[in-house]
Amino acid sequence: MADQVSQNMAVVFFLEKDVSEDQLRSIEEKLAGSSLVLQANFISSRDAVTKFTERFPELQGIVDNLRSNPFPPSFEATLKENLLSSDITAEVIAEMVILPGVEDVQFNRDWIERMQSLSRLASAIGFFLGGILILASFFIISNVIKLNVFSRKDEIEILRMSGATNTFIRIPFLLEGVVLGFLGGLLSLLLLLVLIQIFPLYLGGSLGALRDLINFRYLTFPQSVNIVLGGATIGFTGSLTSLARFLKN
Amino acid sequence: MIELYHVWKQYQKPHWALSDVSFHVERGDFWFITGPSGSGKTTLLKIMFREILPTQGQIIIDRRNILKISDHRIYQLRRKMGIVFQDFRLLFHKKVFDNVAIVLEILGVPRKEIRRRVFAALRMVNLHNKMWEYPSHLSYGEQQRVAIARAVVNQPTIILADEPTGNLDTELAFEIMSLFREINKRGATVIICTHDRELIRHFGQKILFLYKGKLLRKEAL
Ligand SMILES: Nc1ncnc2c1ncn2[C@@H]1O[C@H](COP(=O)(O)OP(=O)(O)O)[C@@H](O)[C@H]1O
Ligand SMILES: [Mg+2]
Repeated sequence: MADQVSQNMAVVFFLEKDVSEDQLRSIEEKLAGSSLVLQANFISSRDAVTKFTERFPELQGIVDNLRSNPFPPSFEATLKENLLSSDITAEVIAEMVILPGVEDVQFNRDWIERMQSLSRLASAIGFFLGGILILASFFIISNVIKLNVFSRKDEIEILRMSGATNTFIRIPFLLEGVVLGFLGGLLSLLLLLVLIQIFPLYLGGSLGALRDLINFRYLTFPQSVNIVLGGATIGFTGSLTSLARFLKN
Repeated sequence: MIELYHVWKQYQKPHWALSDVSFHVERGDFWFITGPSGSGKTTLLKIMFREILPTQGQIIIDRRNILKISDHRIYQLRRKMGIVFQDFRLLFHKKVFDNVAIVLEILGVPRKEIRRRVFAALRMVNLHNKMWEYPSHLSYGEQQRVAIARAVVNQPTIILADEPTGNLDTELAFEIMSLFREINKRGATVIICTHDRELIRHFGQKILFLYKGKLLRKEAL
């Protein structure tokens, strides 16, 4: 499995036949500088012919009869496995193709597409679970606040009898809901951090080579902020709905 | 000040908790509402502070039809009223001072002014030296006096009390009634529901007799 994957991760950049020394150098530099590339070998037209005849000795005669060398020079690049999230790969390949002197690129599209659909599936599952969790936390928070409102219904009653506006009564509960949701969001970020540390260890060998392909990435900062703000919003609406019943006349 | 016109109230068919009750209360009056248990006293009071709506009829308080006040404006009506209940309804996790102060906090009265007025109210009910106690450390009579201080602290024009002496023995009941008289003398209109005949005999001037939801007699002694 691991072998197959690394084989498939070879990307061949075919160069123009009349590629200049300068262009060659800049392509090589680009490949060497890419964090994605493990190793890149230059194969000249001549090397290509040699490789071809080594591989298919029975075709030697045909090659000998050719008036010019049909094989373009190329770079064979091996990509780092653990960086093979298909989006990045596609990006790097796209960058390479537009370099002057690069004619074409060949790689296993099939493999990349499979990776892409796998990651789409993963994010679909993620969204699904996320949705369920958001709903669950909404109900939990609104129930906590409902209990809280219920346990303080005497106080609410006295406030109403004493001429408190609904806003006045609501504010402490809304604040409480917001704080609760906010803390809930923070706590879940912390849990996620811990899980991301533990989960790959836990799965360990059972994932095999796939372990490197599945990326346990922590949330970005804006995503984290959204989760915390989302929690606060859930807390706010949760307490608003649980108060509504008590504030009707 | 308070005018009721043909007020009917039905909780469940076919029984009427109130049938065709009409009466007027003048500013500065002191009224008792009396009648046997289940005759509709509490219902009548709840309708006056708009805790519940009548099935039929109109109620004018301070020249406003209280049935036309929208739900989120009821606080305007409640701020004119001090309400006292049989079960005191104090907050036991708050000190005496804070139980009374809550009413002024609602109104956004400055802290210093709150202290002054809460002290004055507690002084009137003679509890100013128990200001920092918790209600659970007070006797029933004292607890009801705290509730009365809370009802009067924002100087409402109307005081409504539902069986305010129901949980107290006769001596304490007389003490509490004297407090209501005092509040009335200072200008508030007071309406007290009670089934205690002795209290009425002693304090009553204007009395409404309810029986099975009907207003049987109005009496001004
Ligand atoms: N929330 C309620 N639901 C149904 N019936 C009620 C309710 N409150 C009071 N009643 C009925 O209305 C009548 C008057 O009750 P109430 O006003 O409490 O009388 P009182 O205060 O004079 O004892 C009684 O028959 C009582 O059972
Ligand atoms: Mg009653």
